[in-house]
Amino acid sequence: MTAPLGRILILASLFAAAAGAFVGFYAGRTRSAVALRLARGFAYAYAAAIAAATLVMVYALLAHDFSVSYVAQVGSRQIPTWVTVVSLWSSLEGSILFWGLVLGVYIAISTFLTRRRYEEYQPDAIGVWLACAAFFSFLIAGPANPFHTVPNPPLDGPGPNALLQNHVLMAIHPPFLYLGYVGMTIPFGFACAALIKGRLGHNVLKPLRVSLMLPWIFQTVAIMLGGWWAYEVLGWGGYWAWDPVENASLLPWLTATAALHSIMVVERRGILKGWTITLIQATFLLTILGTFMTRSGVFNSVHSFTQSAIGPTILVFLAAALLFTVALLAFRIDKLEVEGRIEGAASREALFLVNNLIFVLLTFTVLIGTVFPLIVEAVKGKQMSVGRPYFDSMSVPLGALLLFVLGVGPALPWGRANAAQVKKALLPPLIGALVFVAAGFAFGARTPWTLLTLAFGGYAAQVTLGQMFMPMRQRMKSGDSLGAAFVDGQLRRGRRRFGSYIVHAAVVIVVIAIAISSSMRQQIELHFTKGQTQKAAGYDVTFVGVEERTEPHRISTIGVFNVAKNGKQIARLEPRMNHYQSMREPIGSPDVHSTLLRDVYISLSNVDAANETASITVFIAPFIVWIWLAVIAMALGALFALIPQRRAVILSEAKDPLPTRAEPETV
Amino acid sequence: MNRSVLVIGLIIGAVLVTILFSGLGRDPAAIRSPLIGKPAPAFALREVGTNRTVDIAQFKGKPVVLNFWATWCMPCWEEHPVLVANANMLQPNVQFLGVVFQDKEDKILGFLNQRGSSYPTVVDDAGKTAIAYGVGGVPETYFLDANGVIRAKYAGPMSPDILRENLQKAMRQ
Repeated sequence: MTAPLGRILILASLFAAAAGAFVGFYAGRTRSAVALRLARGFAYAYAAAIAAATLVMVYALLAHDFSVSYVAQVGSRQIPTWVTVVSLWSSLEGSILFWGLVLGVYIAISTFLTRRRYEEYQPDAIGVWLACAAFFSFLIAGPANPFHTVPNPPLDGPGPNALLQNHVLMAIHPPFLYLGYVGMTIPFGFACAALIKGRLGHNVLKPLRVSLMLPWIFQTVAIMLGGWWAYEVLGWGGYWAWDPVENASLLPWLTATAALHSIMVVERRGILKGWTITLIQATFLLTILGTFMTRSGVFNSVHSFTQSAIGPTILVFLAAALLFTVALLAFRIDKLEVEGRIEGAASREALFLVNNLIFVLLTFTVLIGTVFPLIVEAVKGKQMSVGRPYFDSMSVPLGALLLFVLGVGPALPWGRANAAQVKKALLPPLIGALVFVAAGFAFGARTPWTLLTLAFGGYAAQVTLGQMFMPMRQRMKSGDSLGAAFVDGQLRRGRRRFGSYIVHAAVVIVVIAIAISSSMRQQIELHFTKGQTQKAAGYDVTFVGVEERTEPHRISTIGVFNVAKNGKQIARLEPRMNHYQSMREPIGSPDVHSTLLRDVYISLSNVDAANETASITVFIAPFIVWIWLAVIAMALGALFALIPQRRAVILSEAKDPLPTRAEPETV
Repeated sequence: MNRSVLVIGLIIGAVLVTILFSGLGRDPAAIRSPLIGKPAPAFALREVGTNRTVDIAQFKGKPVVLNFWATWCMPCWEEHPVLVANANMLQPNVQFLGVVFQDKEDKILGFLNQRGSSYPTVVDDAGKTAIAYGVGGVPETYFLDANGVIRAKYAGPMSPDILRENLQKAMRQ
């Protein structure tokens, strides 16, 4: 009974999306208010149908209804309930259904929030959103249908992919990633609507920016959670491997970040309109490319779903979306009127352009490295892979350059500036650069790239802090108390500025933490017999023994280690080997002791329960925790920047006698 | 209409889609073993539960199905009956040989007593033989022809069809 109900709901969602897309474009063309209302109705109907279908699937999973094909494929009576819920997105068909759900939520909320304003752009935007939704509903109804009826349902199932059961972060990482990926459909819709209308007016910039920023926040956190998961689970002591699917999540993030910056130039100067639109469209196309990479079985990765037949279908959609986008851009880009121009090379808008070019260069670098093995195999018939050295050698200089621009850009004023102004803006932060380099040197940093990163980071930190608190300092100069100036200047007004510079400050921390943790990481391989103590980079590691633990879904062999420093025990670490029913090889799970200063990380490479011996790799890496913390700060800063200013504040600001400089909201 | 946008966009799009299209149907997990077509690395290992040494060279003259496995590997449990049944059917014309690594002798014997066996199983104590063959995980199976040359390799648990299909490649020579 459950499976047919699911199929009916999916067909309903497909109908609502397809009809709504058609009506939406029709409303855009004819400006018919009735058609627009109908299109909105279809948008809500799509969201309701896909949400109901997802609920049916969750119910089937929890009820262990093995007559539903997806439940028979990933369900199991022996796994914990949280794993059962997570298995909704653990396998191909369910993940596409989940995609549809997230898209439905995004479309419904966006339609609701833009229903009174933006009537010029809304119909075409709804048309684009629902056209994308129709494609995904088609996938769920056809090639990736999770609701087939199993004629003779089994009594129990195999459970989801073992890697997903291995750590609770797997319950959080995918939803964030979907919220990021899928959310990029919304700004894509606005961008297409603007092109169709041939006008990118000032009023549409706000929904464009907000709808881009929100998924960007999710994507940022998702990328971090993925890295954190890899670090906590995969056992090689790293968090980023330039794996094709990691790259797939990074690519749209890079273009979206570029677009978030170029939107500001559009707001300020009325230029780079076509460029900004192109970036937003590229972001969406890259999310579809990422979907193809994960689900076509073409790329090998820890993230890939198994070989599937939906690869060609997604590729057709990608090709169609590319064609539509390119044609729309070619026919309409010249209609977007240019209102200003870049005044000089040493201006903030020029630096924005440099920032954008670096981001695009980085995008192409990663994209080419990712698809290069396919090219070689197609042309030469040889198998190869592009490894770390390529990506590192390209991304480290570009990343350092971005950090440099992040420091210099905000220091420069908008528009034309004379030499004296430029000097006054650019010289003082050199102090910050010196301080950071000196501190890093004292801490032990010696590699040139690390020291350069510290210099750029220190420069950027000083500029960022100066810009961040400028409204507060101005209010204090005019006599406000510290508290009042902080609340008024930073929290009530200028939220966007404050939030954005928090993001910048966090980026500085992330980049420095990455540079230091990777260049100063120590890796020690040790072999133990029971009770033995050995030294590893100043720590005393004692092998206590082996424990075996049996759980319904796995058997774990655990090596127990005590870690002590100067005779004082600081941690008991339990790296393990987990044996799952469905895996060809055991999955090693490392154990980590984290502090703000450094992580002690033990990974088990071999354990012999009979003779009580173990081989381990110990990694000692400084500052790792700062990467996770700073990315969370990035997300919070961006969220803070998104909180709308209350009307009362805006009104009072209009009457405000305080002298506000020309840039209350710069970033 | 902006021609340069059209041309650049179409070129980038077409190149990307063509590359991705060429990758369809590719199985990135199937890594071609460089050993295929080469003589199988020699080894002589102790048979489990006895002190007899089994040398791979002694099977020259008939095809060999060389299966790397371990008792801690659940897919090996799944595959075991397929191997036993086929060995019963095809031996002595085809020789089956199991190589166990990273495992304990009592566990192996317990496993074989419980689930049956129809061919010799040897213990690769230090894992050197597995390394010589480039074993990436277990189960993994190599198919040798009558001259001791590796003709096929399969990673993962085999179904009867997969086993026979790969064995054909070793029999054809």
